[in-house]
Amino acid sequence: MNIVVLAKHVPDAEALIEIKGTGEKLEIEQKFAVSLFDEFALEEALKIRERLGGRVKVITLGTGKAIEVLRTGIAMGADEALLLDHEAFLGGDGYATALSLSRAIAKEACDIVLCGKQAVDDDRGEVGPMVAQFLGLPHVGSVVKVDIAEGRAMAESLVEDGRVIFEVPLPAILTTQKGLNEPRVPLVTGVMKAMKAQIPRATPEDLGLDPNQIGLAGSKVRIRRYLPPKKRSQVQFIAGDAPGAAAEAVRILIDVERVI
Amino acid sequence: MEFSLTEEQEFFKKTVTDTIDRMVVPKAREIDEKDEFPWELWRQFGKLGYLGLRYPEEVGGMNADPVTAMIFYEQIARGSVGFAQSVIMNILMGTYFIYRFGSDEIKARCLYPAIKGEKIGTMCFTEDQSGSDLSATRTTAVKEGGEWVINGTKMWITNGPIADMATVLATTDPKLGAKGLNFFLVEKGTPGFSAGQVLDKLGCRGTVTGELVFDNVRLPQENLLGEEVNKGTEYLGEILDEVRVMTGAMALGIAQAAFDEGLEYARKRVAFGKSIGSYQLIRAKFADMATDMEASRLMIYYSAWRIKEKLSSRKEAAMTKMFATETCLKVVDEVTRIWGANGFAREYDPQRHFRDARFLLYGGGTHEIIKDFLGRMIIGKS
Repeated sequence: MNIVVLAKHVPDAEALIEIKGTGEKLEIEQKFAVSLFDEFALEEALKIRERLGGRVKVITLGTGKAIEVLRTGIAMGADEALLLDHEAFLGGDGYATALSLSRAIAKEACDIVLCGKQAVDDDRGEVGPMVAQFLGLPHVGSVVKVDIAEGRAMAESLVEDGRVIFEVPLPAILTTQKGLNEPRVPLVTGVMKAMKAQIPRATPEDLGLDPNQIGLAGSKVRIRRYLPPKKRSQVQFIAGDAPGAAAEAVRILIDVERVI
Repeated sequence: MEFSLTEEQEFFKKTVTDTIDRMVVPKAREIDEKDEFPWELWRQFGKLGYLGLRYPEEVGGMNADPVTAMIFYEQIARGSVGFAQSVIMNILMGTYFIYRFGSDEIKARCLYPAIKGEKIGTMCFTEDQSGSDLSATRTTAVKEGGEWVINGTKMWITNGPIADMATVLATTDPKLGAKGLNFFLVEKGTPGFSAGQVLDKLGCRGTVTGELVFDNVRLPQENLLGEEVNKGTEYLGEILDEVRVMTGAMALGIAQAAFDEGLEYARKRVAFGKSIGSYQLIRAKFADMATDMEASRLMIYYSAWRIKEKLSSRKEAAMTKMFATETCLKVVDEVTRIWGANGFAREYDPQRHFRDARFLLYGGGTHEIIKDFLGRMIIGKS
């Protein structure tokens, strides 16, 4: 069973993010992490390998500290990694990113591609389904349970008020949702292996891609402006016993805030 | 000059930070409040492999260089210094002389299980009348026939009451002072070896600290951990600097935990219509704390690098231990002030850091003794 995991390097949940200038640019504190939903994908890939054998390969796209995503994958137990490492890959929308990743996946035969249902930084949820489209593979989204048998995957997805069980032939792409598993803490032996690992890199040329097809140049969607969230009004504490405080809260909502 | 961590060390730091955030930080308050050794967490760390951090891979370790080890010490102390003390005692002082001088049988019996978290090690220096002044050690080792007979009482022993084995400092002749010291391995179950009083400490709760009693404990020759008799002071010199820098790294970990709490509070707490972090006097506190912590971190890495490169590091290690610990004391104090009355409340963490920081004053040498040592080194003996 050859499994590919697509993992993204995202700002850490505690990193400070500021909108700069007139809103065209973000300044992000240099704290990064593997996107949470991709961690579920990685853990599931390792579990599938433990059950059925095979190899797990992690792929990411980015420069600088993006390589840490791959080292994290190796520390957790992945067998190999690939970094799409070139300025031309950067700044892409879901389409351009999915194109680059799909070419990287296609370099070797694989049975399953796993990735998070969305990245926790931009929340667009495009890359998994678009990779499926580029590769002509079936896709099941928001998966919370996976069973593999006889060349097919049974995958459960969350929907409002319930779950749906899908069956797809392999190879297929599954995007992972919270609840699928609990990502493991890496063993020190894994950390050591990851620290020493030589990570292979690929350029657009290696993947047969023209720089104009990918990254910012190849994007069909452009970000025009970032806007800060609305500031929440200050929390007001109401003293007194519960019935009295509730009555006061209702009075404030009616008379002061005029929301009810 | 090169001041940055390697890419590998950066990755290790991030991985360890995540591991501590997931496994230790959520349990820190409970460890402190219950003041019980966290056995389950200990076993988990054994399985993850961190207890063999500084030993070679062939014995189940990670072969971490001193800089990498300091990164770990800082991070685990940031999570819970109560737990960190036990772990680091096992990683460093509690197993070093077993690794260095133990026979194959001793290593198989003591070192390898300690690396897996199946056994707990400790080292015993302090007595009721001596601490930093090791030359005043009164625990004796007398050769009788082919055996060593140990008598004495040790106090303030980290992991002592729960330890499976202890590396014990004892003198062949109290009149010899520092020139009569030796290390002996005493294993749990050896007749005459017992745990005494368990200490109720102000901070570092969760670490079981207490008294160990040696009453005519008879040991075979191979339990003398050293190639020659009366070379204990020399052997101790092999890890003294590492122990001191490690203490500084633990201090930095506590300081970082407190600093992070202070920062979050300063950003959220509102006074007179603005976050308190917007007032100059609060900002000045953060400027001072961050500066001193950065200086501590650089001193820790620099000293660790000197140890790694086998350069003399006695002066640097002593300065690092003292500076990082004093910085920690300042930071935990400032953070409790930033938190106002809430910094005094048991339901929040700043008071825990405030209590924990005090303990690092003594380990690795009191600052009064370190200052005297540094002063003599700088000015010269008169």
